[in-house]
Amino acid sequence: MEAATISSGGSPALGRPPLSRLPDRLLRWALTAIALGVLALIAYFFVRLYLESRPVFSKYGVLDFTFKDAWVPSKGQFGALPLIVGTLVTSGIALCIGVPVAVASALYVTELAPARARQPLTILVELLAAVPSVVYGLWGVFVLIPKLKPAEQWFSDTFGFIPFFGGSVAGPNYFIGGLILAIMIIPIVAAISREVVATVPVEHKEAALALGATRWEMIRMAVLPYSKAGISGAAMLGLGRAIGETIAVTLVIGNAPEIAKSIFGQGYTLAAVIANEFGEAASDETHRAALIAAGLVLFVLTLVVNFIARYFVNRSQRAMARSVPEGMAG
Amino acid sequence: MSALAAVAPRRRRADRVMRSLLLAGTLLALVPLVAVVYYLLKQGAGALSWSFFTSDPTGRFLGDPGGVRSAIVGTVLIVALASAIAVPLGIGLALYLVEYGKASRFANVVRYFVDVMTGVPSIVFGLFIYIVLVLSGIGGNFAGWKGSVALALLMLPVVSRSAEVVLNLVPDSLRESALALGAPRWRVLTRIVLPTALPGLVTGSLLAVARGAGETAPLLFTAFAVNTTTWNLGSQMNSLPIQIFNDVRQAQANIVERAWGAALTLVGMILVLTLLARLIQRRSRLA
Amino acid sequence: MTHTRILLALALTGALALGVAACGSDSKSSSSGSSSSSSSAKLGGSLNGAGATFPAPVYQEWGARFKDKTGTAVNYQAIGSGGGIAQFTAGTVDFGASDSAMKDEEITAAKKKGDPVHVPTVFGAVTVSYNVKGVAKGTKMDGALIADIFLGKVKKWNDPAIAKENAGAKLPATDITVCHRSDESGTTKNFTSFLVAYSKEWAGGPGSDKSIKWPTGTGAKGNDGVAACIKQNDGAIGYVEQAYALANKFTYASVKNKSGQFIEPTLASTSSAGDGLKVPKDLRFSPIDAKGPQAYPITAATFLLVYQDVCKAGLDAAKAQRLKAWLDYAEGDGQGVAKELFYAKLPDAIHTAALEKVKGLQCNGQPIKGT
Repeated sequence: MEAATISSGGSPALGRPPLSRLPDRLLRWALTAIALGVLALIAYFFVRLYLESRPVFSKYGVLDFTFKDAWVPSKGQFGALPLIVGTLVTSGIALCIGVPVAVASALYVTELAPARARQPLTILVELLAAVPSVVYGLWGVFVLIPKLKPAEQWFSDTFGFIPFFGGSVAGPNYFIGGLILAIMIIPIVAAISREVVATVPVEHKEAALALGATRWEMIRMAVLPYSKAGISGAAMLGLGRAIGETIAVTLVIGNAPEIAKSIFGQGYTLAAVIANEFGEAASDETHRAALIAAGLVLFVLTLVVNFIARYFVNRSQRAMARSVPEGMAG
Repeated sequence: MSALAAVAPRRRRADRVMRSLLLAGTLLALVPLVAVVYYLLKQGAGALSWSFFTSDPTGRFLGDPGGVRSAIVGTVLIVALASAIAVPLGIGLALYLVEYGKASRFANVVRYFVDVMTGVPSIVFGLFIYIVLVLSGIGGNFAGWKGSVALALLMLPVVSRSAEVVLNLVPDSLRESALALGAPRWRVLTRIVLPTALPGLVTGSLLAVARGAGETAPLLFTAFAVNTTTWNLGSQMNSLPIQIFNDVRQAQANIVERAWGAALTLVGMILVLTLLARLIQRRSRLA
Repeated sequence: MTHTRILLALALTGALALGVAACGSDSKSSSSGSSSSSSSAKLGGSLNGAGATFPAPVYQEWGARFKDKTGTAVNYQAIGSGGGIAQFTAGTVDFGASDSAMKDEEITAAKKKGDPVHVPTVFGAVTVSYNVKGVAKGTKMDGALIADIFLGKVKKWNDPAIAKENAGAKLPATDITVCHRSDESGTTKNFTSFLVAYSKEWAGGPGSDKSIKWPTGTGAKGNDGVAACIKQNDGAIGYVEQAYALANKFTYASVKNKSGQFIEPTLASTSSAGDGLKVPKDLRFSPIDAKGPQAYPITAATFLLVYQDVCKAGLDAAKAQRLKAWLDYAEGDGQGVAKELFYAKLPDAIHTAALEKVKGLQCNGQPIKGT
């Protein structure tokens, strides 16, 4: 069969007999079918989730569900505000800690590190992403929480006058959750920042250096302005990741559906509540709907964040495309 | 230049400070990695023994908690099936997008939604499969293969995205010259495009597999858990992430020790996959 | 050439995986078929159950011994009573488990698959365990004090409210960390119904249910999770079943009962809670806050949940037989095993009623054959 195809392939393309074009068509159909199938699957996914979540929205309304501070499943109260606040607070802490560290490492690796150290450093930072969520959770429970508690207590006592810092420190809390998330988003933020920084035209940097700028001034004046949009995009992608992260946070957040008064208090997140409760919600339609609705809120949050991220990244790519001379890109 | 003279003390100091700050940031990023690995080895290595790998969790409250054999077998089987679903589909999808769909409207829609899929939290996939496959009672209740499907949903966009990038790197001149020689499209794909892109495809797939192997959330209420080893993907199955997740929340020291041992095992497996992927990537450079 | 081999390999992997899945379901059906025809002494196969964490230690011990005896593996997943009732109602497990009886609306929901039957198995004590350096076991507490602690009103261990009843005990100024359940739990239901009886503020506020709005504290999943929470936090207090407290060498409180006595949770005081208990026909009872002078007041009974007609609810005949054998074991040999894990066996009257329930189970209208 192979020989036959080759011989027919050898004849002029236009005159190829229709039979030998059959595999061509089959392949085309098969691949198109895969694309259609995947699209249909995704569509089904969203439609199903939407339909399943409807009972809770029709019963409580979108506003009540989102902005009410009462999550007591056995009483049929589903106000997701404490969960949403928990998700936003932990992700916010993750950004504050994770992004500066990730960007610093990206700048160091691309601009300052000795050439030989670049590859190993890059791989090491990427290995952070290879550690599974549940392992970070394990480490958080048995190492981070006990080891950091005295430091947190000191911090809380010393800076108690700042809002959201005072009071007693709970073992599992928002801060620990945010810290673990920070670690988990570092690799992705660093990777994208590295790519963005690497595309800064060499001329810009050389020009800065030629003008007598120090290395840092070169970074500040040539690299950072150029890659600002890209780095913002990277941070947003990290935020998207942090919002949806489940298992590690579930283990260290305290699982208390309340809005804590300080970042050292226990809380809950949307993803964690789904993980903890969906086994209990099997037979209770409203509860199940509420969890799916929590999933939808989570999803809409990540969607918006990713959308913004893509906008920034695309803008920086367009900027590159405009100013990068032929042959310099990549 | 008088400016040059003024450079010296203050600016140089700022330079030094900022450079050391950047270095500090880099080192700070590595602290968690070192700390996690250190504690995994310190707490986990003691748990590892022959019987740790060859015995099932006993489930017994007092006394010997047993090992993690069923969890290892479960993880391998569930992830293998998930890969068998996600890798061909993902690469097929990427082939369609690169070779046929290109910049057409339909292809862009598909591309957009696949991107959106990457943003879906993994727990939501678990929830979805629980509703669609478990509650409906298709083929029994909880089952290993249902966990695989949930993982495959998570892996599919990862595979397809990386495959698309790699396939796009195959130079068009290769395709064009083969077509010009009269080769039919399918032979161009199977003989030229895929082999050229192969190392990249393997790397992308391995990374997706590594990602899937560490996921807990999609397995929670799909594959569920069981203590005994089973090779039957049609029944409830244990897995390493679930075993760890359950053991973390125990108070007894010997069960917590098993969690560390299981975590060390899991991280070891994922590390091997990741390094393998990088190795393949390194040895092949698309010209 | 390589490409064809690779495609072939891909195709093979796919085929293999499908094959494995197919074989999997084959072997499942064949194994259950063969087990029904095999000798009655060795039942083989498996049973899947899920629910309460409260009795999980004893169920798992029973499971191990039951397997030695019959060859049937009982896979019990401790996911909490709420999860147990939910999965039982959804029909994803062969039996459920809960340590608070199902509520009326839960019964209604379960009726879709048949009449749910409560089979009580053992009694256990909900200890009020704590982890405070320098404080020994036996700190005296009454319901009102425990309620105030869990309300967040008593914040430190040296609070006068605690010191009052415990003259002579050295109480440090450590902050109290409250550990409670985050999942829907029968243990929570039992514990909070005790608090409701002794604290107006609790009754008017958080109330009693499988999950409530906690005024303070850290949530953890399962009795095991609360035990871990207590262990990991200095100054922590929480409520866990006695087996969890003993396995972790926790110190726990002596709790004032209805007759005004401070009672330490022991096998004897747990058993006493069953004395003279009035039990309704459907066995949905609770021994919380029992009258007996020696009764530990936060004693709970725990139940296995099955359907009256297990086959109409979805089990095949072979599984029905295994389930019956499992329940027989729980009410038979199991009762003797319970005390090894510090659970009290059922009081005689309740035990007789439970045996009656097991006997009455059916498969498609027929009594289930014994082994």
